[in-house]
Amino acid sequence: MDAVRLMKELKVNCEQEADFLPKETGLNLIVSAQQSSSQISARCRDTKVEDLWSLTSFFGYSARTFVLAVSLLDRFLAMMRVQPKHLSCISLSCLHMAARVTEEECDLTPVDELIRIGQCRFTVSDLCRMEKIIGEKLSFKSKAVTALTFLQLYHQITLTHATCRMETLSLEKLEAQLKACLCRISFSKAKPSVLALALLRQEMETIGSEDMLEIAFHIQRHLKVPDAELQRWSERVARRLSDYASPKCSKPNHRKLQWIVSRRTAQSLHSHRSVPELSTIPEDGWDQSESEDSSEDLLSSGDEALSSSLGSDAEGAFFPLHLGR
Amino acid sequence: MSAISASEKVDGFTRKSVRKAQKQRRSQGSSQFRTQSAPVELSPLPQLKDAPSTEQQELFTQKLQQCCTLFDFLDSVTDLKSKEVKRATLTELVDYVSTNRGVLVENAYPEITNMISTNIFRALPPSDNPDFDPEEDEPTLEAAWPHIQLVYEFLLRFLENPDFQPSIAKRYIDQRFVLQLLELFDSEDPRERDFLKTILHRIYGKFLGLRAFIRKQINNIFLKFIYETEHFNGVAELLEILGSIINGFALPLKAEHKQFLMKVLIPLHTAKGLALFHAQLAYCVVQFLEKDPTLTEPVIRGLLKFWPKTCSQKEVMFLGEIEEILDVIEPTQFKKIQEPLFKQIARCVANPHFQVAERALYFWNNEYILSLIEENIDKILPIMFGSLYKISKEHWNQTIVALVYNVLKALMEMNCPLFDELTSSYKAERQKEKMKEQERNELWKKLDELKVSRASMVQNNSHGVPAVLNNNNSNNNNNENQENSNDAGAIMADKDPDVTDAASGSASCAK
Repeated sequence: MDAVRLMKELKVNCEQEADFLPKETGLNLIVSAQQSSSQISARCRDTKVEDLWSLTSFFGYSARTFVLAVSLLDRFLAMMRVQPKHLSCISLSCLHMAARVTEEECDLTPVDELIRIGQCRFTVSDLCRMEKIIGEKLSFKSKAVTALTFLQLYHQITLTHATCRMETLSLEKLEAQLKACLCRISFSKAKPSVLALALLRQEMETIGSEDMLEIAFHIQRHLKVPDAELQRWSERVARRLSDYASPKCSKPNHRKLQWIVSRRTAQSLHSHRSVPELSTIPEDGWDQSESEDSSEDLLSSGDEALSSSLGSDAEGAFFPLHLGR
Repeated sequence: MSAISASEKVDGFTRKSVRKAQKQRRSQGSSQFRTQSAPVELSPLPQLKDAPSTEQQELFTQKLQQCCTLFDFLDSVTDLKSKEVKRATLTELVDYVSTNRGVLVENAYPEITNMISTNIFRALPPSDNPDFDPEEDEPTLEAAWPHIQLVYEFLLRFLENPDFQPSIAKRYIDQRFVLQLLELFDSEDPRERDFLKTILHRIYGKFLGLRAFIRKQINNIFLKFIYETEHFNGVAELLEILGSIINGFALPLKAEHKQFLMKVLIPLHTAKGLALFHAQLAYCVVQFLEKDPTLTEPVIRGLLKFWPKTCSQKEVMFLGEIEEILDVIEPTQFKKIQEPLFKQIARCVANPHFQVAERALYFWNNEYILSLIEENIDKILPIMFGSLYKISKEHWNQTIVALVYNVLKALMEMNCPLFDELTSSYKAERQKEKMKEQERNELWKKLDELKVSRASMVQNNSHGVPAVLNNNNSNNNNNENQENSNDAGAIMADKDPDVTDAASGSASCAK
């Protein structure tokens, strides 16, 4: 694509991005909220976004669907005071709305399936109603300018200045990193253009290409992003990404998930592990319960046991030779 | 076997119920009735409790001898009185041995074992039903059970009597006795096998000198079962006894026992009737592993080698056993077998039989297994990923799809970057496959079009004779027609040699 045209498009998007930012005061309320049943807390929201990511992955939705869904979610939460028990309905509605806009008709998962896999308690009509409410409140038509929009533009711009090394800049990797960042509510405060730029720079620094960083700097100047702001977000992004990539795994909360199995499997699961009825027979002694007489017999039949060849353990070929392989 | 009707012959599948109804009920060849010259009448002897202590021993012996008389229980009419006398006597004897001390004098031992041998050691009748399916059919019960049960009871009390002396008894309870006892384990009557199980357990416990012999004989029975007959009714009971023996093994395990595990217990998993004794078998295997964890690798490799390929019911059992093994496995052992094991689990998870898939997916509900997977996620995730992703899209059973979500979510939380990597490489592979498929389809299309255009070219040939034949004719009869067609053929040959070949191909196909 034409480099000039791309830059123009960048500028246009930059102007629009403020419209799609969640209200800062609203976000702050969530961040500062304590974990309770009446308010959404940051942890609550983050866990929900991670769930959305799993669902996106599972249904094969694109990164754009996910990012759009998170944008809708954050904007709505920043605007309205909601109870935590409605959060799953809201998040699933956002996902469905985003999917409707971004995905092909044939790839769209039906709502009831969405609810079933997401293991949610509400009904299809609940979800539809919630979608309407969200749509109204956000005046959502179809498009939104998100960090992904910028990431894709930056990537294309970088490619137009392509030298052979620049092939290594992977859009997919950047998208995955963006998703990782969006799982933390603090990043919703960032301007999408700045967040995308921070991610871009981070990756470029990892690759270690001076030429690419030059392009990033060029973009920064074009969009007039202040150094301090970019630096601040770059640091946060770096920290988040190193957490994400660390070998320490977060223990999965599998208990929250329902394991529904069919009746027959459930039956066979519970039937094993019965207590054995017969008492253990120690190898070198008698049955424990018969210890009264055993001392006498020990002396008298002990010799016999050792001397009779058929009685001893180790003598003779235990297995007929022709069967041994 | 009664005649099969013509319609059934055509059908090929006669219903089991129909066959059963048609079969005449043959009377059980009495297992123990031996024709006696004259019917024997038993006259009741005085009660033991009433007898003075000096005479009790003699009376005891007499009663034992009296009980050596056998009766035919298939004939429900004859000898009723005598049968009752014997039954009452046996009951009394059972009581006598259980409650009194000082009963077991040295002279009594041979009488006792003789009475027992006479009553229970018999050739078991051949099965009434040659297609006996232990899971579906009712077993044929022992007709003489009213007496035999009491004899077993007596034997048990005899063994458990506080005065019982193995040093004296071993003269009579010898290898021959034990061998005959083991043969009775093939009885169809589950009550009999239950008694035998307890009795053999006691004998094994008390007679150190017989232990090796018993183990060897059990080995023989199992090996014969696995490799020769595939028929033995007492496998579960013998395994139960073995469970208590394995539990008592001293460490370090003797080589003989390890051999038994690998050469007998593992191959036992291949039996068709595994469902009847799987619980006991699995228990034995797990006990072995608890005794010696280094056996884990050979055991699991053995199970993987014998993994059922066509029987889903067995697969579910195997999966259950694997879970039991994993419950007690040591992390170092787990690392050794994780790759082949999870390759098999990945296949099970994608199995179209929903019970197999379900059982395999349910492993992820086990906390200990999850922690093992977590520790080794970088090896395990790549193995599982493909199957899981595929069935999340393709499996017909909705419950399975929901379970797969749980599993994928758990795996994702364990190692996000690896998961992302695998997702993208999986998608890339799918893209490649799709492209290949498209190319293939287009190639076929092209070939089709080629065929169509060649066929139309052949039709256009005015003489209606395929140009091919004339082309291939080296001896030309200078026929005018032929010449013309020859020219046409020649022209065609000049232009495009492949065309005529293709045409010949299609012409011959048309034939």
